[in-house]
Amino acid sequence: MLRKRLVTVLTFNNGVLFRTKLFRPDYRYTANFVDAWSIDEVVILDITRPEQGARENFEKVVQNFAKNCFVPLCVGGGVRTFADVQALMKLGAEKVILNTGAIEHPEFITEIANSYGSQCVVVSVDVRITPRGDYEVFSNFGETPTGMAPEAWAKQAEERGAGEILITSVERDGGLEGFDIKLCSLVAGAVTIPTLILGGAGSWKHFAQGFEDGGASAVCTQNIYHFTDASIKSAKKFLRKAGIDVRL
Amino acid sequence: MIAIIDYGLGNLTSVAGAIEKVGHEAVITSDLQVLADADKLILPGVGAFGDGMANLRERELVEPLTEMVVGKGKPILGICLGSQLITEESDEFGAHTGLGWVPARVRRLAPTDPALRVPHVGWNDLIRTGDSVLFEELPAQPLFYFVHSHYIEAREPGIVIGECDYGSRFVGAFQHGNIYGTQFHPEKSQLDGLRLLKNFIELT
Repeated sequence: MLRKRLVTVLTFNNGVLFRTKLFRPDYRYTANFVDAWSIDEVVILDITRPEQGARENFEKVVQNFAKNCFVPLCVGGGVRTFADVQALMKLGAEKVILNTGAIEHPEFITEIANSYGSQCVVVSVDVRITPRGDYEVFSNFGETPTGMAPEAWAKQAEERGAGEILITSVERDGGLEGFDIKLCSLVAGAVTIPTLILGGAGSWKHFAQGFEDGGASAVCTQNIYHFTDASIKSAKKFLRKAGIDVRL
Repeated sequence: MIAIIDYGLGNLTSVAGAIEKVGHEAVITSDLQVLADADKLILPGVGAFGDGMANLRERELVEPLTEMVVGKGKPILGICLGSQLITEESDEFGAHTGLGWVPARVRRLAPTDPALRVPHVGWNDLIRTGDSVLFEELPAQPLFYFVHSHYIEAREPGIVIGECDYGSRFVGAFQHGNIYGTQFHPEKSQLDGLRLLKNFIELT
């Protein structure tokens, strides 16, 4: 039986681990290393704004993770060209995450899928709620409206060869008040590939809701304070008790 | 010395890191002499079947590797796409001929249950169906990390040492003489994965 996944997302600004809130780097950062032995998968994202740091600093982070982390490593942030993908794969990434690069050039998804396979391409979709109350996809660090509905864009990404969809609610980022379950279920219902939900998890109960009500294949959290060895285990024990099949 | 075959696809760094972690030396290479001198080979892989074969051909590796593995019996472990390339053929993005070292072929995963999504991504059980040195000191039903859209179907059931269940059962691991393959990624499957790699590396 395939287990439901717990994924930790770590964001790096110019090579330094950051926590974000509302998509802006939070003041806190930590040298605390993720415990790769308990988590099911690690996502690392470069959130360095253009011209505010050197890509090499992030590449060093990727290389360090690839060497020391014996769980799947998924890398994104600033992936715009095929050469960017090749560089990350060479450094040891299993999967790359596209966001703005895919929105601007949807054929980029197909190009990567054709050469590395669909399982290698994760399309990350950042969503905000518009004043009208609709969901809308935003690009460029969640700042530029695209006019697209998340479920339509996710569907298109799947058709173009994406292997997974990472759905993020910008408004929930760092808020600890729970995932946007409605959003997750909307997107998970529109595609046949796995959906990962990110943004807002603050308790184990939120994880369970992501799986059960949101239809997510994996729940992600960026809040690293949860991820000490004991807390991953306690999260998984909670989920097991709630009848969700996770790897202990 | 373990040689990780560099054919332009795949998570070579991760495999090398895992081998170092279990106390052995690995070299990432496509140099024929280095490959010939290695004790064992690993054919890793992330990517599409057609591209994988094209890259092996482009680097003129197909015949020399076949001679080393099938001719001389050098042990090899194929991982994920690497294990699929060892089979006879695949239907991924059109029909492709594989290395043809084991009697098996590759087909697309098509579970009928809509809740089972493709690609098959995540931790799943390996149901052991045969004895293998690869499984030494592993639990009865270990969990490994899978990420793939295609699966291996064996023509001779005798080569199958482990199966995975995702809607239906497919080959999780095979062994055909000196030729080993795992659909899952041992280098990304924490302690059990590292143990399996160690078992392969230390087999005599």
